[in-house]
Amino acid sequence: MPTIIALDASLSMIRPIPGRNEHTYQSLAVKGIQNLLDNLAAAGKLEHVALVSFSTVTELKVDFTRDYEQIRQAVKKIEPLDKACFITMLQTVVQLMASWGSQNILQLVVFTDCGLGFGSTSLSGFIEAYTGKESEAEYGWLKTLAAYNINIVCLGLHADHYFTRGLTVYQQLLDVAHLKGQLFTTKPVKQLVDGASNGGEAPSTGSHKSELGRTTVFELVERLCESSYKSTEVTLKCGSYFRMETPVLLWPPTSHEPKLCHIEPIIEVRGFLALSDIGSPAILSRHWVLPKFEREKPTSRRSGSMAAVAKPPKLDINNPNYEMEKLEQDIRDFYAKDSKEADAGESGDDADVTIVLKHSSGPLQMEQQKESFCVLLHGALKMENMAALVQLADKWYGFIYAFNDAKKKSNLMLNILPPGTNVIPWLGDLELLGFTEDLAPGETASFPVRAERRSYSQSSVVWIRQASLQSDVQKVLRHAKKMPDKTQHFYKELNRIRRAALALGFVELLEALAMLLEKEFAHLSLNGASSECTMQLQHAATELRKTSNRDIKSTIAPLQKVGTGDSSSGTSASTSTPGYLY
Amino acid sequence: MFERNQKTIFVLDHTRYFSIASEEYISMEYLKGKQTGLEAGANGGTQFSKSLWTCACESSIEYCRVVWDLFPGTKHVRFIVSDTAAHIVNTWSPSTQNMSHVMNAMVMVGVPSMPQSSDSSVIHGLRAAIEALAEPTDEQMQAMGGKQTLHIPNEGRVICITSARDNTSMKSLEDIFHTVLVQQNSLMTSPPSKKGLPIDHCHLVILNIVPLGVESLVTNRSLLEISPLLNVEIHTVPAPDISYKLTHLILDHYELASTTVTNIPMKEEQNANSSANYDVEILHSRQAHTIAGGPDFNLPTSIKTGSTYETVTLKWCTPRGCSSADLQPCLGQFRVTPVDVTSRPSSCLINFLLNGRSVLLEMPRKTGTKATSHMLSARGGEIFVHALSILRSCMDEAPAIQDGPGGRVTDYRFGELGQLIKLSRMIPLKAKDPSHPTHSTLRRRLPRYFPWTTSSSILFNLQRQINWLPHFLHLLVKEDMDKQDEVRCQQHIHELYKSASRGDMLPFTNSNGGRLKLSKAKDQYRLLYRELEQLIQLNSFTPHHKNLLESLQSLRSAYGDAPTKSESANALLRSYTESPLSPERLEPTSSSSSNSLLKARKRRMSTCGQRSLFDIISSAERSQSNKRLDFSGRLCTLPGQVAKLYPDFGNKDKDSLVIAGGVASTTASAKEESIRG
Repeated sequence: MPTIIALDASLSMIRPIPGRNEHTYQSLAVKGIQNLLDNLAAAGKLEHVALVSFSTVTELKVDFTRDYEQIRQAVKKIEPLDKACFITMLQTVVQLMASWGSQNILQLVVFTDCGLGFGSTSLSGFIEAYTGKESEAEYGWLKTLAAYNINIVCLGLHADHYFTRGLTVYQQLLDVAHLKGQLFTTKPVKQLVDGASNGGEAPSTGSHKSELGRTTVFELVERLCESSYKSTEVTLKCGSYFRMETPVLLWPPTSHEPKLCHIEPIIEVRGFLALSDIGSPAILSRHWVLPKFEREKPTSRRSGSMAAVAKPPKLDINNPNYEMEKLEQDIRDFYAKDSKEADAGESGDDADVTIVLKHSSGPLQMEQQKESFCVLLHGALKMENMAALVQLADKWYGFIYAFNDAKKKSNLMLNILPPGTNVIPWLGDLELLGFTEDLAPGETASFPVRAERRSYSQSSVVWIRQASLQSDVQKVLRHAKKMPDKTQHFYKELNRIRRAALALGFVELLEALAMLLEKEFAHLSLNGASSECTMQLQHAATELRKTSNRDIKSTIAPLQKVGTGDSSSGTSASTSTPGYLY
Repeated sequence: MFERNQKTIFVLDHTRYFSIASEEYISMEYLKGKQTGLEAGANGGTQFSKSLWTCACESSIEYCRVVWDLFPGTKHVRFIVSDTAAHIVNTWSPSTQNMSHVMNAMVMVGVPSMPQSSDSSVIHGLRAAIEALAEPTDEQMQAMGGKQTLHIPNEGRVICITSARDNTSMKSLEDIFHTVLVQQNSLMTSPPSKKGLPIDHCHLVILNIVPLGVESLVTNRSLLEISPLLNVEIHTVPAPDISYKLTHLILDHYELASTTVTNIPMKEEQNANSSANYDVEILHSRQAHTIAGGPDFNLPTSIKTGSTYETVTLKWCTPRGCSSADLQPCLGQFRVTPVDVTSRPSSCLINFLLNGRSVLLEMPRKTGTKATSHMLSARGGEIFVHALSILRSCMDEAPAIQDGPGGRVTDYRFGELGQLIKLSRMIPLKAKDPSHPTHSTLRRRLPRYFPWTTSSSILFNLQRQINWLPHFLHLLVKEDMDKQDEVRCQQHIHELYKSASRGDMLPFTNSNGGRLKLSKAKDQYRLLYRELEQLIQLNSFTPHHKNLLESLQSLRSAYGDAPTKSESANALLRSYTESPLSPERLEPTSSSSSNSLLKARKRRMSTCGQRSLFDIISSAERSQSNKRLDFSGRLCTLPGQVAKLYPDFGNKDKDSLVIAGGVASTTASAKEESIRG
């Protein structure tokens, strides 16, 4: 989710926060940005982030990057300039975001004290000018902006009327321009707050001092991350072995996808397909499938197939999953000790403790060492060049495969197909996919599912352009010259033309063709061509002219035997099936 | 779902007038291939012309060629020929919605030849067209689901190719059509309703065609709303140009766009060494152009000479190792069809694609660089244009999986899972047996136990070293295990037990080869048993599995490794005490195990009373299969009495006491049991 962080660099930002002499609005905003980056880094440094500062002018400080350190450095160096000009910032953001495709979720995070600006560039002035002129080209950029996710972190005290008025106008802007936006405000001390602030639900018990500070800003950022940066959590299930059922995160989140469908909490692999069979179908969106790391005990959501041995879940020592976990840990310990030749005692009992210890210490390293189904599936799919077809909801599918980027980095990716079961013509109905065992005896099946022949894969006759008529006629004449070797070809082409001409009511062509054949006959007999050839030409010309042959079922057949020239032999009609033109 | 373009009806005027020449002459010399211009062959007799009928016929057939290529099975076109009556060429049924049907039917129609009569008119056809619009298509029938009351959207388009004298006659045509339309609808709503749908809206396109060079008194008129039911537009076209007109109209009727693939290198027949560049124009859904838009991109458009619409020109990229297997990020795929299907450049491109290669198409960016915005590829005999995602995506750089959780584990069983995946490759079926739903199939196909890594499994690690192990594992997971399989498995379990008793080391490859301590060896077997037990537990489909599980659990307890849930899984040594395969040397190397063995036997006896009917039957079955005679001491002794061991041996040997005591204690406990029971 490409993110632009916009920091208000107006002079009002260097006001000290009342009762908090160590903080200015700007220093708090900077802290908030650092905290946001911390959060994004903890979530895997997946987001591309850019930094702009805005006053009268909006300046791009850091272009989109995953190297958050650059932003951390740059944000410290932002100097407050003059007045806030929110609209200019939004316009610049639209330009900056233009390089990102429509399939991305675009995020804008603004840190501001909700100043309204002054004069012609003030926010209220803009709203006034905009109302009533929504459809004018001048405001076209707002349509683009409406697709973005706008998060405004509003720094201010609810007792400050300048700030609360600001909040109202900001909310007004979001409403008027139909923007997907959210204002994040601190909880007001008292309840005398106007309705504009989203966050103001419950009166805070804290003192005035705690209303705006480092902690409260961090809270805002946390709320922001929760609402805008949370990956989708689902359980990926593959087969019936309970360990092949694992919680995963889909990044970027899928929540912004077609409102009509929702991905089920458990997505199950239905089977596997070769990537070469899938090809490049249209997809709604793409997501990384990342292992979700369970900090507590593994889930024990079990399928009914093992009901006979199923036990109450979690921490119960008789739980089969628990036993399996323990066994695997014991085996691992066994091997570990085997290689170390170290202490061989009581491997089983402390396994539990080790797991817990491992989790609490150095999370990243430990996570990398802990087995993950995503990695296993990725490796196997990559090795076989295959993809797993997963069902996301009723009549909605996607496929998971190993994606390689340009830098040879690879990860597990989910491509979400448009909802429906017949979305890839060459795979057919996805609900009709099965395994070889499902075939009836003697039946075979393979990809691609073949469509009926289209006009371009048949020998179509279209004479709209004269050139194509010419080339068809020339073909007949070419074969005519090479009779008797090409007699069969000659008649095949002749009948093809004849049938098309009949369908189009193009009888003029039949006469013209007959004349051409006669001319050819005259020409060839002068040059001493074989008698077979000339006989056939004459025969063909006669047959073309016969009105009795203007019937779908009739076919002009070659003159059978030179000499027994009974002209009726020409039409060996009704038995031959009517050939198709297309 | 039921848009206006899903039903189109061509009404072709088949009156006498249409047999006249279109006055566009084709010279015979030209046909022979002499490069004389059309004008040069003006000397009479050697030239001929298509009739108005032929022009109308070929252009309307071309129209539906495009429709059926791009929207097979979803957009329908019908033909109605009108002279003294209306002749229906095809219906909405899919079997008649194809080119060969239409062409064959048209042969029967032929050129208008009957003498001009007062009642031959296009009106008959228009009336029939309205009736046809009221007929539901298969899709509409399906949507109705047998309920006549349900309102199904029903719109359509009628394209009428005719020739009218002047605006007045055109007006009357229009009026009649509207009246009939209203009548038809009232017919539908009145009680004795025929099977049919009311028509929500109709778009009537009248093409007034005249021979080349003839002035028409009918004025062109763009779309006009006659009533909420009817829109009419009128075009006067010289007959030879009607195809171009229809190609233009079809773009709006089906929201199509044209793309011209430029710079296609093609070898010339005459000059095989050099290649010239050709252009091929294709039609496809307009979305292929709009879906990938961005401000950085402007699709370059141009207007071809002679046509009236814009085409987007995209440059052919000579494929560089780009097979259609490469997965491209694709925003939309759309069927394409060439505008000129018979031209040589078109057929070259088509064959290239149908042979399985795909072509990337390039467009210039504003910045001067280029982007491959589209791809042409064929699948299943159909050609598609894929609109590719060319803008920046947050998915472009992958977070390496090695850096994520689990990424540093090195011994995943990729190969084994890969094999399973290959075995579970899907295929398209014609129909599906509802009693055999697939969702259960993959669950059944994949194993119920599959350790992720080699270091978390003893069994799968040993598979390569112990040659009978793979077969054993195969037998164990059989859903339909039979008695024979069970016996074989029991033998294998016994084998394991024997080698454990001997203190044999399991042949691990990653062991460093040095001799392991005894306790270590014990660990090996303990874990092996535990894993086997897990495996069987997860696969227990049959009573045989249950039996195996029991043997294994007893083995574990014999090994001083009591299963955690001992009570339900009767820790028995039954198979070893009752089986003919009982080893001579029962006790393992350590005496503590021997004690536990005894304990286990005791426990078995003590649980006797709780034996289920199933247990009893299965053990009876098992004992029946014993061909060897039972221990003679047991055979000769009455139940409840103590068998005397080595009766000939006297009382010298005190060693025998251990065993005798053992037997005594078991029988004693059995007695207790029977009393209690």
